[in-house]
Amino acid sequence: MIKHLIKLVWNRKRANFLIMVEIFFSFLVLFAVAVLAVTYSDNYWRPLGFVYQNVWNIEVDMKQLPGQSPSAEQVEAVRQLFLAAREFDEVEAAASAQTHPFSEAGEFGVLGVMTNGRRLEYRQNVVSDDFDKVMSVTVTRGRWFGKEDDGVNWQPVVINQQLAQAVFGNDDPIDRDLPLFNNQTRARVIGVITDFRHSGELSSPENLVFHRMNFSDQKEPLPGNLLIKLRPGTTRAFDEKLIRRLQDVDKKWSFDIRSVVELRETAFQLKLVPMIVIGLVAMFLMIMVALGLTGVLWLNVTRRTKEIGVRRAEGATAWSIHQQILSEMLIITSFGLTAGVALVVLFTLFDVIGWISGQVYALSLVISLAAIYLLTIICSLYPSWLATKVQPAAALCYE
Amino acid sequence: MFSNYLKVAFKVLLRKKFFTFVSLFAISFTLVVLMVVTAMLDHLFGPMPPENKRDRTLGVYYAEMSGPQASNSGAPGYRFLDRYVRGLPQAEKVSICSIFSAATIYRNSEPVKVWLKYADGAFWEILEFNFLEGGPFSAADDQNGNLVAVINEATRRKLFDDQPAVGKSLEIDGQRFQVVGVVTNVPFLRLLPFADVWIPNGSAKTRSNELVGHHLGMILASDAGDIPAIKAEFQSRLSQVELDDPREFSRFASAPETLFEFTSRLLSASGRQPRPGLLLTVLIIGAVLFMLLPVINLININTSRIMERASEIGVRKAFGASSWTLVGQFLIENVLLTLVGGGIGFVISRFVLQAITASGLIPYADFRLNYRMFIYGLLMAVFFGLFSGVYPAWKMSRLHPIAALKGVIR
Repeated sequence: MIKHLIKLVWNRKRANFLIMVEIFFSFLVLFAVAVLAVTYSDNYWRPLGFVYQNVWNIEVDMKQLPGQSPSAEQVEAVRQLFLAAREFDEVEAAASAQTHPFSEAGEFGVLGVMTNGRRLEYRQNVVSDDFDKVMSVTVTRGRWFGKEDDGVNWQPVVINQQLAQAVFGNDDPIDRDLPLFNNQTRARVIGVITDFRHSGELSSPENLVFHRMNFSDQKEPLPGNLLIKLRPGTTRAFDEKLIRRLQDVDKKWSFDIRSVVELRETAFQLKLVPMIVIGLVAMFLMIMVALGLTGVLWLNVTRRTKEIGVRRAEGATAWSIHQQILSEMLIITSFGLTAGVALVVLFTLFDVIGWISGQVYALSLVISLAAIYLLTIICSLYPSWLATKVQPAAALCYE
Repeated sequence: MFSNYLKVAFKVLLRKKFFTFVSLFAISFTLVVLMVVTAMLDHLFGPMPPENKRDRTLGVYYAEMSGPQASNSGAPGYRFLDRYVRGLPQAEKVSICSIFSAATIYRNSEPVKVWLKYADGAFWEILEFNFLEGGPFSAADDQNGNLVAVINEATRRKLFDDQPAVGKSLEIDGQRFQVVGVVTNVPFLRLLPFADVWIPNGSAKTRSNELVGHHLGMILASDAGDIPAIKAEFQSRLSQVELDDPREFSRFASAPETLFEFTSRLLSASGRQPRPGLLLTVLIIGAVLFMLLPVINLININTSRIMERASEIGVRKAFGASSWTLVGQFLIENVLLTLVGGGIGFVISRFVLQAITASGLIPYADFRLNYRMFIYGLLMAVFFGLFSGVYPAWKMSRLHPIAALKGVIR
């Protein structure tokens, strides 16, 4: 039966070829959208690793130029800034960070460890001692930075579980050296945290290295962000009070206060809006393809009235005509999809999809395949119903 | 003859209403998406107020210091622009302004977030802002570091409830500025003029004194023909730039350019070479790729439609119509259809753009259709029509007249 149907499709290969091409491209479009959507929803359900409620981020512009080393006075002023922030009853804890939470930007580095022929990449952030209290970070092994890290001749680092797993496997990473690439000083792991997803819930999980902000070392750039944890119930009116006090520390600096909740919303919008636009465009494309396919199939059926008439005259039931039209369409679809799947699988071989996990890829593949089959079945329902209505007598005396 | 074609085309379109609808849907949808993208690009790069002298204005958006070990690139700094760009002989005017930065103004303890830009006197002469009240600050204000500010309409609403604002004051980072003028909002995407509040360079608490930093330069040529000479003079001046530490950074690079040229730097790996041609090619290829699926859809529909008209073609062939005539006729029909679809698309994109503007996603954006967009849309529609019409037309012209007359077609 299938062999016979394939023959039927093959006999009309010219006409069917374009339909296959259309299905091929529709599949690619749907697949791209599915990968995006699956990646986002997969990321969304992973733990964020910190608490963003009641935290404010104060971006401090110290009017410092890129590459310029801070002066002793500036370092002292930063220390004063901390003290000033802690003066208030509303402030539970204060810390500083080079990049603030929900920021797309950041610094990245590579490790001297190779996985799959590539150096392991990580995101790094330089933060101060109380950062874990401000952001409610969960330390699973070892400890967070503290006074005991002063004056040691290595760089203490805190990493996330994903990186610990990648570098040390199941071994205990505490007090082991992290093989930072191109780095003169030794980096020693003192703690492991569950995670800290800088770019928010929708971002993909990353390897993470926290360095300690060391205010005695003037070679380090000054922190760009002051993060404060507020007592629950603190209102926006505290904003001005705080700013006026901070401004007293250094008249030249400017401050930009934003609640981290607000930063999260912006980060969400930044990722979701393009997704919604792409989704809408893809949806319209699919409606267009569906209408087009219905039209083409409809005409095909009207042109094959005679053939169908003969089958009916020889005793074929309406259901078997139905089946024939549907199966033919499914065969054409399968041809188009085979080419599409082949191309998509080819991508994996050339490693152009490094950032997508195998599961996400497979799931998107299944979703887009199912969607295309569903689309073509819906498109062929009306034409095949039309075909069952063909009266053998009318069809045979067509000429 | 031509009017005959049109009459036939019209009749055919009316006969199969479902097909006509599907074709028009595909065409207008594709064109809506392309038009919206074009409108956004036009909003970013096209001429619009206050940049009325865009054809003879160049921007200095980029500067780079490089040495054997390290390089430092970014926006040009104030010292470089002040010392080497100001006073370019062919330039009619040169202005230096900062890249906009965030600031907070408090109104009864309520924070109002604004974008702040430092500018000079020439800034207001090169750019033609629409002043609702008051006027710009002058070069003297800039030199003396007077604490004066020009604000936009939105800031006037947020701070002064739409009441006249000239003479009133506002506090930014602990400094009190007096409002001297109010202008209409400028879209966020216009890098050079955009801000909520403009204050003089001289009012900055620290005088910036760097080669690579966070400023932008604007050069106004008295005539568009002078631009090559200005570019050449600019390049020759780069060798005179005194670097702070020639052992660390030995070379200095920068260029006066249009925003489109500056954007095209993103395409070259090092960011050193502007590639406007490449950027244009990438945009066109992107548009063609996007059209691919709609075009295949339309080819399918058109091919089916032709088969339906087989007997008409058979008759015409039997009476001696050449293949070329038939191809021409079909292409005209198809282009006519796409033009109708394009017209619908043009109207729909107007509403889509209105919705985007109203959503406030991009601050102060005002996406509009103008005559340039109409021409782009027309070109796209014609291209679409030809693109999707050639294969079906070729197929039609090859029909055998006898087979066509009998209606036996493979």
